Amino acid sequence: MTSADQPLPLRTSSPVDAADRAVLLRIADGELAALEDLYDRYKTMAYSIAYRITNDATLAEDVVQDAFLGAWRNAARYVDGRGSVKTWLLSIVHHRAIDAIRRRRPTTELPDVEAALPSALTLPDVWAEVSAGLDAELVRSALDALSDVQREALELAYFNGLTQGEISERTGTPLGTVKSRMRLGLLAMRRTLEVGSS
Amino acid sequence: MNGPDSMRQLTCEEVREMAGAFVLGALDSADLAAVRAHLAAPTHADEHPEIAELGGVVPALAEVVPLVEPPAGLKDRILAAAAADLEARKGGLTLGAAATAASAAAATPAPVAGPVAPTAAAPIAFPTAEERAARRAGPRVGTWLLRIAAVLAIAVLGGWNLLLQNDLSAARSYQQSVAAVLAAAAQPGSLTAVLAGEGGAGAGLAAVDSAGNVAMAIRNLTPTSGTSVYEAWVIARDGVPVPLGGFQVGKDGTASFHASGLPTASGIVLALTLEPGPGATTPTAPIISKGVASAPAG
Repeated sequence: MTSADQPLPLRTSSPVDAADRAVLLRIADGELAALEDLYDRYKTMAYSIAYRITNDATLAEDVVQDAFLGAWRNAARYVDGRGSVKTWLLSIVHHRAIDAIRRRRPTTELPDVEAALPSALTLPDVWAEVSAGLDAELVRSALDALSDVQREALELAYFNGLTQGEISERTGTPLGTVKSRMRLGLLAMRRTLEVGSS
Repeated sequence: MNGPDSMRQLTCEEVREMAGAFVLGALDSADLAAVRAHLAAPTHADEHPEIAELGGVVPALAEVVPLVEPPAGLKDRILAAAAADLEARKGGLTLGAAATAASAAAATPAPVAGPVAPTAAAPIAFPTAEERAARRAGPRVGTWLLRIAAVLAIAVLGGWNLLLQNDLSAARSYQQSVAAVLAAAAQPGSLTAVLAGEGGAGAGLAAVDSAGNVAMAIRNLTPTSGTSVYEAWVIARDGVPVPLGGFQVGKDGTASFHASGLPTASGIVLALTLEPGPGATTPTAPIISKGVASAPAG
């Protein structure tokens, strides 16, 4: 396991994080029971994300299986300080789900070789969360506080897996405007979440 | 995808504009490569705090998804795949040896994993590969035996079910086909796949060796009747199903299937359909079960 960059100051470690890291340590050591522990902790969130993105129960199962196997095989590559184990795992789920629906879409460019290999599992970039212990209500209110077009841009990217170019085409919006909406939308969410969780 | 020579050089301002799309995964591969190359340059390493600032918000988006419970069988599939992966990593384990180890494990109390001191904010120090190897060689024999027992338990699960049905012949046959798959999976360069379908139909294991030979052990199949056959398919990156051959299934619902000439690229999909007759060149029926063949981590 590699050492991390300095963690962002906003994110504080919780007992849950420490317990998760202990589970990941056991997974890195090849303990099947630890993988079962990790699955039991995050199965619902993982499957929910995969199902929300793919809208296909069978594909969502494949995504979750692929993601947990990715975690199993790559536990030693987890970098502490760049997000909790939960964030790392769910980012893998998200990444794999987006890969799956992009492969299914005929209009999307073919993924590059690395992205096409489930075994290689291109690990997603993960950043330290804006805050620990965010609840759905707070995040929902942060999303609701965005303008409609900002929220649409974020949702089309995160849940529908569209690229900025595809969002531009679908919404008939100039590419530069799409970029701004995503950047400013995330920035506004961050401010709301920081205030709400402080 | 562009090579390094043709990759677009981005300015810091362009990267800032794309920061939101970058952290959301909304860049196409060319833009993504260009942003990564820019951020990797030592001269730019400290110039983009916005990446972490915006990236920290992305995990929060997952909190708003409606919660849906996964199917009950998914955990078993994942653990079976991990067990097969573990087995393939270690290599060369026969079912007989595993059975001996499983018996020993049953008589050995499971060791409790040592406590890992939680560290508040400090990065956790994960052991190196050497440290982990030393641990495995040390006092954790019980854990090793339990792993073998787990692999055995999962691999022969179908066999035990058959034994419970007093179908000894079918159980032995299925056990032999699982052993053949595990032997193939243990070969260097092999790929493994866990096959799964709706409601557990067509569950099984498959291994593709480096020469392109596949061995499959499948259970929970509806017996064939008349001219109907199960057809195995391989689907490579071009997305075109290529027939591997057909087989019939008796009342025990299990099958052992072998074919050759498969592509050996990780990521190929193995699938089964139930066709009305032999010789199908394209699938005419829905996929009953499928799995992605991938290489175990090195």
